[in-house]
Formats: sequence, C-alpha cells, structure tokens
Amino acid sequence: MDTQVEISAPTMGGGLDPSISRDVADAVRDTIYRATILLDSQEWNNWLELCDESFSYDIKSWSPEINYDMTYLHASRKDMEALIRLLPKHNTDHSPLTRHTSVYTVDVGDNGETASAVSGFIVFQHLLDGTNSHIDSGESRLFLVGKYLDTFKIVDGRAMFTSRIARLENRRLDKGSHWPI
Amino acid sequence: MPARNHKQWMAAPNLKDGEWIDSRVYTDQAIFDEELEKIFKNAWIPVCHESELPKAYDFRTTSIANEPVIVCRGPDNEVRAFLNVCPHRGMLIERRPSGSFYEGQPSGNPKRMTCMFHAWQFDMKGNCVYISREKEGYQDRLPKESVGLRRLRCEVKFGGFVWVNLNDNPVDLEEWAGKPFECLRKTLDAEPMEVFHYHKAIVNTNYKLWHDTNCEFYHDFMHYHNRVTGFNDAYFARKNEAFEHGHIVVGTFEVNYDQYEGFESRAGLSFPHLPPNQWYMIDLFPGMNFNLRGSALRCDVVTPLGPDKVMIEFRGLGLKRDTPEERQTRINHHNSIWGPFGRNLHEDLIGVQGQGTTMRPGSESRRVLHGRQENQTIHDENGMRHYYAEWGKWMNRLPSNPEAPFTQVAVAAE
Ligand code: FES
Ligand SMILES: [Fe+2]
Repeated sequence: MDTQVEISAPTMGGGLDPSISRDVADAVRDTIYRATILLDSQEWNNWLELCDESFSYDIKSWSPEINYDMTYLHASRKDMEALIRLLPKHNTDHSPLTRHTSVYTVDVGDNGETASAVSGFIVFQHLLDGTNSHIDSGESRLFLVGKYLDTFKIVDGRAMFTSRIARLENRRLDKGSHWPI
Repeated sequence: MPARNHKQWMAAPNLKDGEWIDSRVYTDQAIFDEELEKIFKNAWIPVCHESELPKAYDFRTTSIANEPVIVCRGPDNEVRAFLNVCPHRGMLIERRPSGSFYEGQPSGNPKRMTCMFHAWQFDMKGNCVYISREKEGYQDRLPKESVGLRRLRCEVKFGGFVWVNLNDNPVDLEEWAGKPFECLRKTLDAEPMEVFHYHKAIVNTNYKLWHDTNCEFYHDFMHYHNRVTGFNDAYFARKNEAFEHGHIVVGTFEVNYDQYEGFESRAGLSFPHLPPNQWYMIDLFPGMNFNLRGSALRCDVVTPLGPDKVMIEFRGLGLKRDTPEERQTRINHHNSIWGPFGRNLHEDLIGVQGQGTTMRPGSESRRVLHGRQENQTIHDENGMRHYYAEWGKWMNRLPSNPEAPFTQVAVAAE
C-alpha cells in the first residue's frame, strides 16, 4: 500500500504550447536519468549540480507496522553538501549501488517553468565488502525498491531538482547506507 | 608481541576470569537453542509501544523465541497478549503486523479475533466465543469454554512499552527493570509518547554481539560523529553502572552537537525533566536497549534467529503532543544519527556483521576480550562482564568455557 503517491490526470500541454511542454518533459527525463548515472558512479557533487539552491531531499516510507508515514532522512541542499563532504570521515559499506529508474509520468506546470515527475526505481547492491568478501563479493542483491517523487524548476531549458522524495517500499533495511539513494 | 602461532593464539589470555569469553557462546547451535528455552522464554520483552495500538480492538503481532505472539487492546482499554496460535489446528490467528478487529473479517465477525481457517472466534480477553458447528461436531465433549487462547503475562510500563513474558510466573517487571529505569522514570512517564520510526535489520551475527555494541562506548572510535561531538572530560567520566539481572545504565553528559558540521543542538526539544542535550542509555538483559539522546528516544529489541542471525527492530519515539514541526525536528535528530541512512547505525551494523563473519557455526573458537578496567566509566568493559556473568547464571555455563558449569568465580571480576 502506498497512499502517498498521487498521480494527477495528465496535464501535458494544459494551456501551454505543446512543443514547449514536450521540451520541458524531455528536460525532466534527461535530468532524472543523468542523476541516476551520477549517483551510481558516486559523483555526488556533480549530482548536486543538478539540484537547485532550494533543493530538499527525503527518504520516506509508510510503515504498516506502526501506521505512520516515516521520514528516514530529511536534508536541505546544504545538509546534503555537508553529508557528502563528511562521507570520507565515516566508515561505510563500499559495495556499489546501481539505481534502475523508469520515468513514469511528467507533469509540466502551466507556465512551463516548473514540473513534477514520478519514477519507479530499484536499487541493487553489488557486494564488495558486504559480509565475507571472499564468499560474496561480486554478488548482486536487491537493496531498495521505491518511487522517486521529484519536482523541478526549469532554468534555461534545463530541469533542476527542487525536491526529491525517495519513497521506499521495503522496510527491512539491514545495514542501511550512508549514500544518497 | 609478534604474531602468534596456533597454540599461542588458542591460549587463555593473560586476564582474569570474567575478563574474556569463548566465542562458542556466539557460534554453537545447541547453546543457541538453549538460550531460547532458558532465557528468552523467561525474560520480559518490550514487544511494542502502546501508541502502536491506540484504539480499542487494535492489535500488533510479534514473536518471542519462535512463538508467535499477538497483543491487542480490549474495549476496556486493557492491553493483553496471547500466543497468536489457534487452539483448533494451529493456524496463525492473525497474519498482519498490525490492524484492528473492529471491522469484520471474511471468516468472522467484528470485534472478534477470527481464525480464518475454520472460523473459530475469540474475544479481546482470549475467550473462545464461537466454534463453527460446535454441537454437530463436538456434541458436549469440547465446549468453547475449554479452548481459550494461551494468555501471556503482559504489562504496559516504563514509558508505555508493552512488555510480554512467556513464563506464567516471571520475576515481577518492576523488580526486573525498575532500578535501571530509575534514571529516566520521571522523564518517560511524564506524558504519553508516540512511535515515529520503525525499521528492522536482519544481520548475520549473534544477538549478544549486537547487545555488546549497545553496552560499550569504546567503539565510539568507529563513529566520527561521536568522536567530534563527544570526546571530552565529561564524556570520559560517564559512569557505566551495573544493575541486578544483567542490566546496565550508562549515565549522562552534555553532547556538543554543533561540533559536527550540519548538526544542531537538541536543547529546544529535551524530554520532560531533563536538562538539554543529555544522553542516557539503558541496556537490559538479554538484548534490549533504551537510548535517550536529548530530543528522541530509541529502543532496540533483538529477536535471535540463529547463532549467527538476529533481527533487530529499531523504534524512535517522541512526545504524543508534539506539533508537526516539533515532531519533524525530533525525527531529523533521531534519523540523522540512528536512522537506516544516518551517521552511526550503519557503522554499528557493519561492526557486528564483521564479528559475525569471523564467528559463525563451525568457526574455530576464539577468545573475545572484555578486560578494560577504567573505574566503571564509559570505556570500561564492565557492562559486558556484568552481562556475561548473568548469562552464565541463566545458562549454567561458563562464558569462558561454555562446556563447564557456571561458577561464581566469573563474577569475581566485578
Ligand atoms: S485452525 Fe483455527 S479454526 Fe481451525
Ligand atoms: Fe555505535
């Protein structure tokens, strides 16, 4: 059950020149897929370049156990910068993650200056030092499943993230992660 | 000392009894099975919090030592616990993690626990109130009055946690944990709390290794966050105090959150009756942890799944009366350190999984050292020594040689 994802009726072109609307939607998809690749390659700062100053980042999940919409992580752009800068100071699991993203819907705001998108994602963890690297390095495991709920500001034809909510379906998170999802 | 040969490696360390243990307590299947019988079936387990079943007919399911358990709130507002097992042919009565019996089910009526299989029904006190085709099948041989649920000892206590014990005659809960909770009793009982965070981890390690990590702060060397916000004279003076029944409490000090970039002081949202930015930790035998860090309470509960497998449930709590803004701030404080994507928890779990990797069934026995003596302050390992002395009593095994019966010698180190 995911009560938190509401898909509105398509608004593509509503009051906007359809070709502008299409261009904006293309820019949004481009930004989401670029973000996927940059996160996968752990180019955290380049990923942040895709985020507006007003960016906020959340990892959330609905818990049927406690009947509560949980926030596992909440951060402003400044918080994300600090988090990323301090990553080398922390011990972490180095098993790389890859995000498999599909953009489902893009809704362009009436003036063509904003947009929102819903994407599905699956994150696999490719074990490196997960447990006993002699045995399980090289194994890929399903790590996270969820949806990205993104909003954007369109600047010079480029879509910049103003917010991302990564909504997780799985709540058995085992060792968790220090990395943005 | 240079690297050692096998004989040197296997030799007893040059420490006193009780200052080290044998890793077979973490790896042996027979010891594990015995722990479920002797310890987990007789200990008080905080299976959930009352805020998880706020209304009459709400329920929550869980398990202790392989036994499925259901906790529900009756129309009289009492919280009761039962085995979640149908007395007919053993079906799990309720399969969902939480919910309400207020509405009817496909097989049964509203306000009843109904076993979906053959539609036997039970009320919130565990009475069997309906057997389908009772007279036709059982005539007068098995009246429903004789097939109630198995009720379990259950109490709501110490800040609204729901404590369940599988033993019908356990030590009184107040006697069990009252003393360690004394330091936070006024705070936790000042007003109702609410759970805002829940997640679980299943990791390949022994449950005691997780509890050890919660009992010792020496591993703050692993947490950059704790080193920069904590290490000062007041930190090193924190007392690590042992209580009867294997529990410990690590006393408080003031944490300097602003030493870590991007972290704010938690002063504004302190729990009732506490000065700002305090940090208390209560560790209960055999594997529960209550951790109050200024603005948020964390509770860990272990469910051992095998010698090298444990499920840990993590909860975060705030005050029920929090405004949405206050709540969000508490959640941020909690999760920035203790959430699955926070600074510390990931490191703690990597640590114990690393131990689990070297100590698994079939691994050669190892000596695990608990011998730091620092006046029972924060980096002293007295908390673990105290725990294993208690473990030895319950198991009648010597932690340093689990084949041998427990002797009081091991406690002498305390
Ligand atoms: S097993 Fe429950 S009614 Fe038959
Ligand atoms: Fe820790």
